[in-house]
Amino acid sequence: MAAEGSDPDEALLAGVGRGDPSSVRQLLDRRLPRVLALARRMLNDPGEAEDVAQETFLRAWKQARSWRPGGAKFDTWLHRVALNLCYDRLRRRREVATAEPPEQVDTGPAPDAGLLGADLSKRVETALAALPDRQREAIVLCHHQGLGNIEAAALMTISVEALESLLGRGRRALRASLADLREQGR
Amino acid sequence: MTMTVERFAQLAEIHGGDTARWPEACREEARASLVADPETLGPILAEAAHLDRLLDLAPAGAVNAALLGRLIAAAPQPVSSARRWIAGLGAALGLATAAFAGVAVGVAVGHDQPVASQAQVVIATDFTSDLSEALEEPAEL
Repeated sequence: MAAEGSDPDEALLAGVGRGDPSSVRQLLDRRLPRVLALARRMLNDPGEAEDVAQETFLRAWKQARSWRPGGAKFDTWLHRVALNLCYDRLRRRREVATAEPPEQVDTGPAPDAGLLGADLSKRVETALAALPDRQREAIVLCHHQGLGNIEAAALMTISVEALESLLGRGRRALRASLADLREQGR
Repeated sequence: MTMTVERFAQLAEIHGGDTARWPEACREEARASLVADPETLGPILAEAAHLDRLLDLAPAGAVNAALLGRLIAAAPQPVSSARRWIAGLGAALGLATAAFAGVAVGVAVGHDQPVASQAQVVIATDFTSDLSEALEEPAEL
């Protein structure tokens, strides 16, 4: 078992650096779904999320041989790279949106109140996507990725108090936009 | 020790309906408060937990085989002993070539140099002799 504070991915990363196929596979099994989920929830686009996940790991492969133990944890490094790539894409979207306004999407409840399965999932995804980027980032990092406040705040380069403010505002906005689903999730 | 209802509601709003995911510093106090006043604090926690469950429905995306295959193919490859031997041989050949080129340049430059004047030879001789004496003197401790 890894000691507290040590990087649980360190040994696998060393194996990747040596070109060990088993280490590559284990590291991908362990971390690729997390990176993909982060990108998917940040970007609300499966194709773009896959591109971000791929680019993140291509950069990781380049780092593997020269990775220095004792610095940032590999998972934190992955999150930082993936978030930067997501922000590049969100920035590009805003530039395109300024040049050419998108069609208005109705994010409100469907006329038939009974949403099921995929529809419910789509509603939540749309509500999450409608949040300001930083609020969405705070919620995705803390709720979905399961990072602690200190780690998430460090990744976002903000104070813990600022992170908590983003979390509070984000959750309030989500509760308001998903208010009609109150009975369905119970 | 218990916390106020307002503080409890604020923490639920920020961190959700599972007190295990609240900051460690306030977990115990929150649990004690919940035990002390479940009628007031229970619904607050349930409301936050409901939003947590909805958030869990946001699609995470599934890893597909094509993406996995591309990443495995792009991962660093093991360095075989044959490749290591070839790399070593290449380095040795490089060093040998550099050494040969150094000698060749030295010989060519040496041929082009004019014969040293007598004065230069004297200076060089004197310097050599001084240096030899200096080296021969025992160091005082």
